[in-house]
Amino acid sequence: MKFRKSAFLIIGLLFVLSTVLAGCGGNSAGGQGKTLIYGRGADSPKLDPALVTDGESFRVTGNIMETLVQYEKDSMNVTEGLATEWKNSEDGKKWTFKLRDDVKFHDGTKFNAEAVVFNFQRWMNREHLGSKKDDFIYYGSMFGGYKGDKGHVIESVKAVDEYTVEFTLKKPQGPFLQNLAMSPFAIASPKAVKKDPSKFAEHPVGTGPFKFKSWKKNDSITLEKNNDYWKKGLPKLDRVIFKSIPDNSARLTALQSGDIDVMDGLNPDDAKRVEKNKQLQLYKRPPNNVGYLAFNMEKKPFHKKKVRQAINHAVNKKGLIKSFYANLAEPAKNPMPPSLWGYNDKVEEYEYDLDKAKKLLKEAGYEDGFEVEFYAMPEPRPYMPDGRKIAEYIQADLKKIGIKTKIVSPEWQSYLEDTQEGKHEMALLGWTGDNGDPDNFLYVLLDKDNTKIPAQNISFYKSDKLHDILIEAQKETDQSKRTEYYQKAQEIIHEDAPWVPLVYATPPLAGQSYVKGYVPHPKGTESLAEVDIQK
Amino acid sequence: MNEPVLTERHSVTELNQEKVESPFRETMRALLHHRSAMIGGGIILFLILIAFIAPLLLPFGYNQIDADARLQPPSAEHWFGTDDFGRDIFARVVYGARISLWVGFFAITGSIVIGSVLGLIAGYYGGWRDTLISRSFDILLAFPAILLAIAIVAMLGPSLENAMYAIAIINIPTFGRLMRSRVLAVKQEDFVLAAQAIGMKDTRILFHHILPNSWTPIMVQGTLGFATAVLEAAALGFIGMGAQPPDPEWGKMLSDSRGFFQSAPWTMIFPGLAIMLTVLGFNLLGDGLRDVLDPRMKQ
Repeated sequence: MKFRKSAFLIIGLLFVLSTVLAGCGGNSAGGQGKTLIYGRGADSPKLDPALVTDGESFRVTGNIMETLVQYEKDSMNVTEGLATEWKNSEDGKKWTFKLRDDVKFHDGTKFNAEAVVFNFQRWMNREHLGSKKDDFIYYGSMFGGYKGDKGHVIESVKAVDEYTVEFTLKKPQGPFLQNLAMSPFAIASPKAVKKDPSKFAEHPVGTGPFKFKSWKKNDSITLEKNNDYWKKGLPKLDRVIFKSIPDNSARLTALQSGDIDVMDGLNPDDAKRVEKNKQLQLYKRPPNNVGYLAFNMEKKPFHKKKVRQAINHAVNKKGLIKSFYANLAEPAKNPMPPSLWGYNDKVEEYEYDLDKAKKLLKEAGYEDGFEVEFYAMPEPRPYMPDGRKIAEYIQADLKKIGIKTKIVSPEWQSYLEDTQEGKHEMALLGWTGDNGDPDNFLYVLLDKDNTKIPAQNISFYKSDKLHDILIEAQKETDQSKRTEYYQKAQEIIHEDAPWVPLVYATPPLAGQSYVKGYVPHPKGTESLAEVDIQK
Repeated sequence: MNEPVLTERHSVTELNQEKVESPFRETMRALLHHRSAMIGGGIILFLILIAFIAPLLLPFGYNQIDADARLQPPSAEHWFGTDDFGRDIFARVVYGARISLWVGFFAITGSIVIGSVLGLIAGYYGGWRDTLISRSFDILLAFPAILLAIAIVAMLGPSLENAMYAIAIINIPTFGRLMRSRVLAVKQEDFVLAAQAIGMKDTRILFHHILPNSWTPIMVQGTLGFATAVLEAAALGFIGMGAQPPDPEWGKMLSDSRGFFQSAPWTMIFPGLAIMLTVLGFNLLGDGLRDVLDPRMKQ
């Protein structure tokens, strides 16, 4: 009993202490001028966009570093960025970019064609890697590998004059311009990289509206206004703090109490409450994602198409959306969202029909069902606010057709590793599009090229027919022809059913009503240059 | 000379037969007059009854999903409301009682059996056996109980059975040490010496003579331990290391309803109340038992 009393005492003291400390944090974060505190679910793994593929890193680096071309404020259409003009040669192999001449990096050095060349050399040669664990992973998957690889698309990058850059490609690449606008290909200051290549990811230097100031791991990242920003009058804020608050409800509480100004990852169920609250405003990120259930086709019984189709018939997507998305989602039937060009609306969804599912299982020889392990993600994702509950929901239906599932939910990092290594039998996962091109969904997630461990294609779906079409579509530069290829690809995928495409989600966000000019971007992260606070 | 003595003895025996009750009956009688013990016992009986009978009468299954009826407040149809799956919370709480009682019973029985045997051996034989067993208990007790349980489940893999084993294991030292200390006292008694003197086997002495004379504190501790076990199962369930979906374990229900405790508090209140009631029931009964069984408390 004595032990318990003292335990209570200690816990009580901790509470008091934490409240006091939390209070301190709030005060010191204020400072001078306009500060925006952005609450989010997790810290950034690294602050060098070329080394990562995750949104939490891009969310910060996108405000520090900029790309040659950018997406429009609220769509995936490409517009000018650090380059003002560009043209593609007749044969599609030569791209020439005219650069801005009034841009400076945060360290005072000039942004010019040499800087662009330096960055591309850095990514394609991998000579600046801080350690072997690092990798310019996204460069490899978007441009067909690295210098010397057979599939590598970029032949050379040249500085024609101080403000002109020329790319020569080995073969035309349809989504080339879209790719250049992606967050990982933001231009870093050559001086800062050369100074300490291995530590660049800890204090990035770019041309963006905000300068990197400090980083408290797993807590917050602070950026400060870049007074010499090339867009006159921007940014409007003096300081941005990205604060990690892992729990969605706790983050909303922090917003309601005024500790943060904007939050990502609102529980869909709380959207209505935010809408009713006059002090808050609700944002909806345009849907550009897909949440899915992947079968590991290398494991029995998912090598049988009929089993996969049967489970497709056994998932009640409408019920899922009603229960866990507060209707902020659409049922999915293809592996890419309908907001993207090339979407095939003619594909007929596997309707929710348990009798059909049972019949297909019987035909496949699994009349008595089977048992499987079902991976469900432990953390809320934009495309899936609560993976474990969604799995539990699907579990109940699968039980009705005789399939017993055991839901497993290792922590997020192991979850990704396990699924990339194919340890799962069935797994929930999803994807937010990074460049507004169907290639970024279909090729990345379902082509046989991406079944090499660590695999992005966690179904380990290997279809030569699909591969040929996707490669053709990459080489093609005419968008109407590419549309045809991608529509055909979606038909093949639908028939083979390596996934149950679950939903296209509209992730809700919330902010204080005094926050002006915040526009959530479909790619999942956005520049905060035009955001203002008007209290 | 001989006769009166015999008569006297005879009469004494008769007297004893009239007045002395069996200890069990005596305990029961005292317990029936102990108010808080009766309340505790009543709660437990009620829970057991509900766990076994109510599922037969329920109109809803505990895993009956209905997306159209999600997060409904308590009503005549859904007494405790519904959760975010549209499942009837009353049904889930009732089935949850089965799970909690089942886990508590088997975990505590397991740790009583193993702990008592180890305690008997350690206390009776002493020497290296005592050192070995007692130091193992010390090692187990050095860890905070719930942390140890988490570590055990992490090794075995999260499931209800493994949570039960973990709870059983972390409670072994409590019963073991209790038993050992009782045995140390009892083995000095004349009847044990007498048994040893007539050459009775150790096992018979241990289980027929020492054990029955040492079990009262174990019983009290067992009842109180049941409450702790229910709490520990709920804690493991809450962090996802106990019952797995779709099992309606109370701790897991609490954890699942974290997101709605402002908009739909009933998803949290009823499983919470169920845990509280169960723990309260066993604690009251345990306290009552202790009062009744403690010779010092007798008038």
